[in-house]
Amino acid sequence: MATKSNYGWLQGRTVRKGGHASSNSHTRSNTPQVQSTSTTIFGGGIKDPSGRTSEYFSMDDQCPVCKSDRYLNPKLRLLVSSCYHKMCESCIDRLFTLGPASCPNCDKILRKLAFSPQTFEDLGVEKEVAVRRRIAKEFNKRLEDFDDLRSYNDYLEEVEDIAFNLINNIDIPATEERIAAYKAANAALTSLNLQREEAEALALKEQEDLERREREARAAQLAQQEQQEREERQREERELIDKLETSQKDAHKIVAKSRIAAAKRSSARAASSSANSSLLGMSFGMDYAKLLKTRTTKVNNVPDEPHVPFLDDYYAYDDLYTVRAEGYDDIISEAVRRDREGIMRAGGYKVEEAWNRALLTAVAGLDAAPLSGLDEPNSLGDVDVVMESV
Amino acid sequence: MKRPLYEASTQYKNWRYSPERLSQIRTTMNEAAVGVIRKTFEAYEPGSSSNVSFVNAHEEHLLVTFYVHKISQLCGHFRFPEEVEATATSYLKRFYLKNTVMDWHPKNVMLTALFLATKTTNNPISLDAYASHIPNTVASDVLDLEFLVSQSLAFEFAVWHAHRALWGIWLDIQNLPDSPPDIAQTQSSIYDSALGHVRAARLTDAEFIYTPSQIALACISLVAPALAKKWLESKANITIPENQTDIPPRPSAAALSASIEAIESIITETGKVPNVEAVREVDRRLRTCKNPEKVVGTKAYLARKAEAEKKAEEKRNKKAEGQKTNGAGDVDPFGDPLAEPVKPGLVDYDDDDDDD
Repeated sequence: MATKSNYGWLQGRTVRKGGHASSNSHTRSNTPQVQSTSTTIFGGGIKDPSGRTSEYFSMDDQCPVCKSDRYLNPKLRLLVSSCYHKMCESCIDRLFTLGPASCPNCDKILRKLAFSPQTFEDLGVEKEVAVRRRIAKEFNKRLEDFDDLRSYNDYLEEVEDIAFNLINNIDIPATEERIAAYKAANAALTSLNLQREEAEALALKEQEDLERREREARAAQLAQQEQQEREERQREERELIDKLETSQKDAHKIVAKSRIAAAKRSSARAASSSANSSLLGMSFGMDYAKLLKTRTTKVNNVPDEPHVPFLDDYYAYDDLYTVRAEGYDDIISEAVRRDREGIMRAGGYKVEEAWNRALLTAVAGLDAAPLSGLDEPNSLGDVDVVMESV
Repeated sequence: MKRPLYEASTQYKNWRYSPERLSQIRTTMNEAAVGVIRKTFEAYEPGSSSNVSFVNAHEEHLLVTFYVHKISQLCGHFRFPEEVEATATSYLKRFYLKNTVMDWHPKNVMLTALFLATKTTNNPISLDAYASHIPNTVASDVLDLEFLVSQSLAFEFAVWHAHRALWGIWLDIQNLPDSPPDIAQTQSSIYDSALGHVRAARLTDAEFIYTPSQIALACISLVAPALAKKWLESKANITIPENQTDIPPRPSAAALSASIEAIESIITETGKVPNVEAVREVDRRLRTCKNPEKVVGTKAYLARKAEAEKKAEEKRNKKAEGQKTNGAGDVDPFGDPLAEPVKPGLVDYDDDDDDD
């Protein structure tokens, strides 16, 4: 970017700053005004009204036909033919001004008007995007246009097949025939879907406009409020000074009185503005809530049952002991209880829980009778398993 | 009838034995191991096993008990909490109910059991720090046995401990109606000596036969029989609420007294560190009767290793073969074709663009 600006400055040209300043060196947001007659013809190749994409541009550009590069010709601009070969503008002028001629690379007959600016570094991508753009225009059927999902998927498969053939130059004539046949068969539906798409795009745009307007209105309101506040404060100050000048009373008292009045006014203002903004937010929030509601009703209703991890019902000896509410005289937990800063309890340790566990262990299994004799399931089988597996 | 919580523990379900069963397990395992090792000896050097004196089950137990004591020394050195020590001893004792010292020497298993216990009780120490504090030990010595030990424990790492039960009883004694308010301080010697008995109980088989609460109660009873009796009676006298008919009956002092006495005698009789000389003698004999398949460098060890390698190789080949035959068949790698068209409406394929 910097080098280009410098060039412009040296040549005494005004260089138009791009919509965004932070583009990298490989793309150019503002094409230099090339002084060739063809600029007007080639201009506007990128079909992106938002201006976010820009023409591809590299410092290593070199015209494959005349071998001139950016070092020799800083204004070099490469364009892409319909057979996806690059050429510089002067070559195009030279070769095609006198009418259609063959491409120096592949001998395909080209016309001057069929050249377009490059958007992607990889020309394969360039071609794929162009093909897909074309395909999408023709094959715009939707799921609703089909009886079942299976046939819709078959249709998508066919579309993908055609796109693949076109991109990779497989069986072009047959593929074109297929497209033509499809076009003839589905002309009405295609145009209908086209209209639908346009309508949707329009609706989306309207929605965006609405949101933007709302934002702007809110910002304006805020600015207005601030302005009001400022004016009021200035007025108060003026009043105070006037009063101090004219009045006979104690200066301190006057200042204090006016302060109280100012505080009252500002609090009233804050209340009214918050009410206002909440009103604004509510209208917006309500819209949003409505939207959410329709969305959620669309998703099928799954009953929200609580998850129960264990269904067994053990006796936890809880009636055999109680943890003393006033705590215990306990030397083991003393350090933790003395710890004022709570460093030892930082992980969520509670001495009551430790006591509870100790008391539980003290009464757990008190009544369990010991086993006797040899009549128990033989667990010696594991021994061999362990020894075998090692 | 509700099931008591303790009966849900693996300790109750899988690590509870009768005294007779314990000794039976040990003798049968020892006999089986001796048989296997004798066979291995004979396989490589016929007649060599005739003058080997194998260790018997009692001697094995003696050695394990000695290394249980070693664990507590090691814990003192590392300043590990009581829980780590108790857990590690349980692991070691449980391990030797499923394995024999002739296969795995307790001096190695002990280190792994202790390291495992630090992890399972949430007192982690780095392996390098652990190994560097123990002479002649590297990290791999500890880790090599880890899976074996875990497997022998059947991955049942949770252990209920008597020292925690003792703490609980000691806390609860303060709750007795007629106990002096400063009992914990004035009588703290009772707790200390009871804890000593709990530690001695770790050297015994008590934990395989009785529950931690019974062991703790017996330890208190050894020091202050009257206090233990009073506490037990207070528990037995809690009335069962009428609306709760599905809970087990209260522990009765009469039924428990036999167990308590038995634990007391176990602790006083067997809760001692074995005589070092006797242990040294067993260890000396163990050197001659170790399972040669487990001693690095011997013929049997190499043979077993080669065999294991061969088996693994076979397994790999079989797997590769299986893949080849599978691949050669006419199986579609993407699965069978769709059976029938999915009916629309089952799945909502609407995307956000067309909200109509």
